Amino acid sequence: MKENIVIIGGGIAGLEAAGQLLGLGYKPIIIEKSDRLGGHVADWNCLFPDMTPAKDVVGRLIAGATEANIFLNTEISFVNKLKDSYNIMLSNGISIITKIILVTTGFSVFDASKKEEYGYGVYDQVITNRDLEHWFNTGNDRRIDDCGMNAVGFVHCVGSRDEKAKNPQCSKVCCITAVKQAIELKQKFPETMVYCFYMDLRMFGKKYEDFYIGAQRDYGIRFIRGRVSEVSENIDGRVIVKAEDTLSGKPVKVTLDLLVLMAGMVCNPDSTKVANMISLPIDSDGFLKSRDNVADIIDSPKDGIFYAGACTGPKTVPETLAEARAAALKIHLYNKTMQ
Amino acid sequence: MIYQGKQKIWADYQKEIPDDHWFYVRSCIRQNFFPGAEKMFLEICRGLLKKDFYETEHHTTCGGIAYHCDTIPQETVMTIVARQFALMTEAGYENYVASCITSFGNYIEILETWKEFPELEAKIRELLWKACKREFNKPKYVAHASDLIYKYRNEIAARAKFRLVNRHTGEPLRAVEHIGCHYAKMFPSRSIGGAEYPYVLSGMIEAWGGNVIDYPERRHCCGYGFRQYHVKANRGYSISNTYKKFESMEPYHPDFILTNCPGCPYFMDRWQYVIAETEGKTYGENGYGIPVLTYEELASLVLGYDPWDIGLQLHQVAVEPLLDKLGIEYDPSAKYKGLNRKDIMRPELPGVLRCC
Amino acid sequence: MGKLYDELLKDYRAKEGLKTCINCGTCTAICPAAEFYRYDPRKVMDIVQSRDEDEIEKLLKSDFIWYCGECMSCVTRCPRRNGPGLVIMALRNLSARLGYFTCSEKGRQLYPLTRILTGNILNYGYCVYPDTFKWEDHKESGPVWKWHLEHIEDTMARVGANFKGEGPGVLRKIPRESLDELKSIFDVTGGTERIETVEKFSRAKAGEMGMDMDDYFRETFEHASQGHLNSDGD
Repeated sequence: MKENIVIIGGGIAGLEAAGQLLGLGYKPIIIEKSDRLGGHVADWNCLFPDMTPAKDVVGRLIAGATEANIFLNTEISFVNKLKDSYNIMLSNGISIITKIILVTTGFSVFDASKKEEYGYGVYDQVITNRDLEHWFNTGNDRRIDDCGMNAVGFVHCVGSRDEKAKNPQCSKVCCITAVKQAIELKQKFPETMVYCFYMDLRMFGKKYEDFYIGAQRDYGIRFIRGRVSEVSENIDGRVIVKAEDTLSGKPVKVTLDLLVLMAGMVCNPDSTKVANMISLPIDSDGFLKSRDNVADIIDSPKDGIFYAGACTGPKTVPETLAEARAAALKIHLYNKTMQ
Repeated sequence: MIYQGKQKIWADYQKEIPDDHWFYVRSCIRQNFFPGAEKMFLEICRGLLKKDFYETEHHTTCGGIAYHCDTIPQETVMTIVARQFALMTEAGYENYVASCITSFGNYIEILETWKEFPELEAKIRELLWKACKREFNKPKYVAHASDLIYKYRNEIAARAKFRLVNRHTGEPLRAVEHIGCHYAKMFPSRSIGGAEYPYVLSGMIEAWGGNVIDYPERRHCCGYGFRQYHVKANRGYSISNTYKKFESMEPYHPDFILTNCPGCPYFMDRWQYVIAETEGKTYGENGYGIPVLTYEELASLVLGYDPWDIGLQLHQVAVEPLLDKLGIEYDPSAKYKGLNRKDIMRPELPGVLRCC
Repeated sequence: MGKLYDELLKDYRAKEGLKTCINCGTCTAICPAAEFYRYDPRKVMDIVQSRDEDEIEKLLKSDFIWYCGECMSCVTRCPRRNGPGLVIMALRNLSARLGYFTCSEKGRQLYPLTRILTGNILNYGYCVYPDTFKWEDHKESGPVWKWHLEHIEDTMARVGANFKGEGPGVLRKIPRESLDELKSIFDVTGGTERIETVEKFSRAKAGEMGMDMDDYFRETFEHASQGHLNSDGD
């Protein structure tokens, strides 16, 4: 099986697909822009719903893909369409001819500073879900006071379900991530009051609702149904959050030591770049467009080009891995039909 | 506070403002309460900076206050505005500058609505013709007068006789900036600095040597609320909102408040007086209030104009503590005189709020 | 007349302001009126988008729609590009047209507002004018305003205004022909008709309340009942 298979992106989707393709006897090529594998998940600490360490998951995936040809620190310079294949020129000077491309470019985290009213990058005590996860990993963030905090808030839907932020879609994982992070914070600081400000809680996944119940019952986390409207800073450097408690119909104002913005998922600009190079369409939500959003989510409209993971829209880790496996199988079957 | 974070946002909201040749329209409220401010606007722009600003006696109110008090239909306010545009067109101008924020918001809203619903613009053109036999071109550019003082801020700084520095301590003065709601909240992209961290007044304060305070209720409305002030029974709304702002800014000890809206300086000035008289509470030092200035008044002070020539005697909150900090000399006995030092008595002193 | 909802949606402000609301409360959270009055702009949006004619009629006849200060802070923040403040303006416009405004205390204030503001525009060409901004009605304007009004020729001359003068300048006299144009604009655009409508319904209401129009003016201008404010208690 000499056929080249090019996987663009070395996050969990690319790694899982590579592992499966290796198992099927192929020798896939992974092209990764950064200097390491694992993508966003490698930055995370623990994963819901069982608090699995992210490094274990990523470690296993990398171990399964070591036999692949992996190019780190490598970007795609350009792609030439040949008769029935593509010539991919890499930034390291290597060129690859392939008939099969798997796009696993994933997502970007929404730039929370674009929600100007929330003050990320302006007010010191406003951080993102990602910053908090980094602190869980390293314990290193001067904004988080180890001696304890009186009150911490989480803002759901930051840059998600927001037409003004040009992201009407739900980012899917933020609700459960907020609950997870709220519980983790509460475990570290049991005396701290923790608030979650949400529009709707979308607890769709396995054991998510259990998580939510635990957050309320065992940790006393307060859920306020209201979208945060404005964040400001008081003279002590603490942040003041305004929302409406829509269930009681009253405006609420709380002063917090730390505010965590649940920045959502947006299409990775690199996905768009790749899409432009090989003339793939973009869907109305800004993510890559599948052949069909029900039955053929991992198929691009072009023969030989497949998708897996969050390049087609926000996904959880298990969903991404499932797509990666499905894509590997699809590629295998496609390759057989070519011969 | 991360200053660079704000700078990053400011960079996203800059607008190209034409440098010269403006058709100027006045503000109803400001002409009543801060008549010196508009005089100084033209004095600075025309007299000092030698720019072309045209005014016609035939322009009128834009109707904005009546519109936001829901007393006139949308077609009426649009046609009044269309008439103003016709006056501009007839005078040969394309750049339109409004002294009032309610007007500015009104103009922008109307132009945007016409863009979205061209049939409405056509209807208004017809109505204007029917009523006044006038036709108009839409302005190429609509600015608020504070946009222009912002644009000229460095030229003003270059000519400044005073800097916004406390001459006793050498420290920059602490300034609260308050932006009229209709400046940027409806159309952030038409402002300088956006709706969340507007830069139009901060830019002046920085250029002239002061420091800007960011306090929790900075973005909150002054409490005008149109009908919530014009009807006597509703004024609790107005004062309670102003009170909220003052309570929020109090810990920062501002030396003065700078505003760009007609109503805001009036409310922030006068409600301080009422809060003092009813609650016994004052927000300045030694029983004084915090002086509230318009951008033209502040520009005039740094340029060295006499405080009474620019009309600061018409404020209820005494400005003298600020003048002293700036090192501006003034003649206390001239404060309430008419032309040629004519004796026209003086206002009664309030019971609690210290005035001069 | 068609359905109230359809009437409302003919108003460009409703077209602009009512997209789809998800009831997230962003508007209410920063609404200066919601903090002071028993008011919730989110609920206004919800009622209007429900298209429930009875509820919309109730709304048009209630105090609720008159609490907003039209600061438009809600417009900045709505994640769905709604403008609750604009919808309020459309509701008020419809309430005025149909005479429903006389059914509520805050709505009845439209009478003194119309008298004062349209009077100022048509008589002077300004929305606010010293001759009608009496210190007695505006004691919060302070002793400085009282003094300013008592010596207005001198105080205005001192700061270089052109008070009631010919030609351009601060508080100049707006020429007669310009005032005539304003009147003509009111006549052709429905401004005059609106004044008459407000007058007609207010007159009827005053009769019902057993008041002459001066008393009705003072009553609607000055009186505030208990129960509007959050601080009023239950």
